[in-house]
Amino acid sequence: MYIAMYSEMLGNKYFLARNYQGAAQNLQFVLSKNPINKSARKKIIICYTQTGEIEKAFDNFYTLVKEDIHFIIDTDPVADDCPCPDLVAKYGKVYRYEKKSYDLKLMLGMLWLYCDVYKSWEIFDELNSNNDHDFKLKEVLSLIEQNKKSINKNTN
Amino acid sequence: MPDKKSFRDDILDSIEEGLLTVDKSFKVNFFNRAAEQITGYKREEVLGQFCKYVFKCEMCETKCPIGIILETGNGLYDFRSSIEVKDGSRKQVKLNAAILKNGDKDPVGGVISFRDLSELEALKKDLSSTSSFYGIIGHGKEMQEIFKLIQEISDSDTTVLIQGESGTGKELIANAIQATSRRKAEAFVKVNCSVFPENLLASELFGHIKGSFTDAVKDRPGRFEIANEGTIFLDEIAEMPLQTQVQLLRILQEGTFERVGESITRKIDVRVIAATNLDVNEAIKKRKLREDLFYRLNVIPILIPPLRERVEDIPYLVKHFITDYSRLYKKETEDISNESLQLLINYTWPGNVRELENVIEYAVVRSKVTTIEIENLPLNISSSTEANKEIVKEFKRENPSELIQLLEKNKWNKTKVAEELGIGRTTLWRMLKKLEKS
Repeated sequence: MYIAMYSEMLGNKYFLARNYQGAAQNLQFVLSKNPINKSARKKIIICYTQTGEIEKAFDNFYTLVKEDIHFIIDTDPVADDCPCPDLVAKYGKVYRYEKKSYDLKLMLGMLWLYCDVYKSWEIFDELNSNNDHDFKLKEVLSLIEQNKKSINKNTN
Repeated sequence: MPDKKSFRDDILDSIEEGLLTVDKSFKVNFFNRAAEQITGYKREEVLGQFCKYVFKCEMCETKCPIGIILETGNGLYDFRSSIEVKDGSRKQVKLNAAILKNGDKDPVGGVISFRDLSELEALKKDLSSTSSFYGIIGHGKEMQEIFKLIQEISDSDTTVLIQGESGTGKELIANAIQATSRRKAEAFVKVNCSVFPENLLASELFGHIKGSFTDAVKDRPGRFEIANEGTIFLDEIAEMPLQTQVQLLRILQEGTFERVGESITRKIDVRVIAATNLDVNEAIKKRKLREDLFYRLNVIPILIPPLRERVEDIPYLVKHFITDYSRLYKKETEDISNESLQLLINYTWPGNVRELENVIEYAVVRSKVTTIEIENLPLNISSSTEANKEIVKEFKRENPSELIQLLEKNKWNKTKVAEELGIGRTTLWRMLKKLEKS
């Protein structure tokens, strides 16, 4: 009997098919062998938000943002087949009713960074103002803010 | 000396099969001339694109050929599928696929070769008018009427109640209703009400807030919220606890609900399709199903006939399942003998289409030749039908009037007579036909 081998390619296949559980399992395996694989890290963050593992998603998000925030900000939704625009639209509806859900806000903050740095900043700013003891949140917010400014400058 | 890459491309351009390769992200990185001719795309339009966006293959999401190889380790040969070509039409293709690996044996890409079968398929279509409706096979009048009804209600958001014995394909009907509806692009959430323990179903459907019960460690939206603006399919609705039925009734009437443990009223816009395999009148009598909920759900009732009442579909279903399972198990089985088919037609199918599918899967796996024979069928099918044959013979040989007496005793209720004899209604019907002739 053949036992399916985990691989980045199978992870990518599941990611394209929006099978986040399958994608996460494969990408986890890839990262256990090669933890610096940024492409796998970028995808696994999204997968974890969809499998309910928000803490794991944020840990990966935090390290990737610290290392190379542009790797997320520069995502092209079409060329990268990024599901985030659909996901923020989907969860945005729930968010309207969810004034108190920390996890949902954190998830939206992460997902928005793949599509709109300003929206992401707004959410992290709100999260940070309610949790000012969380150094990771503070650091993420500061990094997004710096990049928001630089994007502003470039646009101007 | 010609450069190696251009020499290789010249060779690949000269073959008549379409050929494409993808990298590990599933982006196309090679596309030969035959592929251009079959699809209508120029290679510069395709290179660097995700293959799923170019071909919109019917299996991209679920049965991507390269994905299957990655999952199973088996190569794919002569796999049938259809792709969307540049002018928007679909073409039937037969394809082979393989994985490209690097020196560490890690998959780094895939190669697909494909042949155009559209002309052949068009010819076949003319020869046999299949009645497949969103994957449901139904040639009989009752099934055709169901298909017609589904198309008629495609513009409305009306609640539908699907009734049918277990294995008749209630979920397939629900899929067809959703796929033809205005909400087809929105969320489609399915819940089997019998799967969840009574105390958890309400939380699953309507969500909960943190601390509302022991395991509620965080806020969680329910399936109704996830299905907002889309459709929810509630299977085995009569298994839903009565208290939850009251909450569902409120959603149907007002479109409002509260999460478990919360007092905020939420508004929702969800189309409900419900299904049950129970006799609803019995369920209402036994207080398993609220009568007011039944009337709310039963706006459009769909009653799926059991397989024994639509035996005309059996040959088509058998053919369909043989094709599917031969492909899945890489068998050369392509037909069934007349004797075996007759056994299947005579059988009563308590498990309906699902049972027939299992029987064909079993037969395909066991069959070592191209045609399924009686010995390839499961024992319960062949033995029960053998027993039926004996009964028929006995009646014919000894005393056919006993059958008439039995029918009169049961006021010509064929179901009761069949039960008393321990045979299927179809078998009884055939016996009566034979008696008529004699």
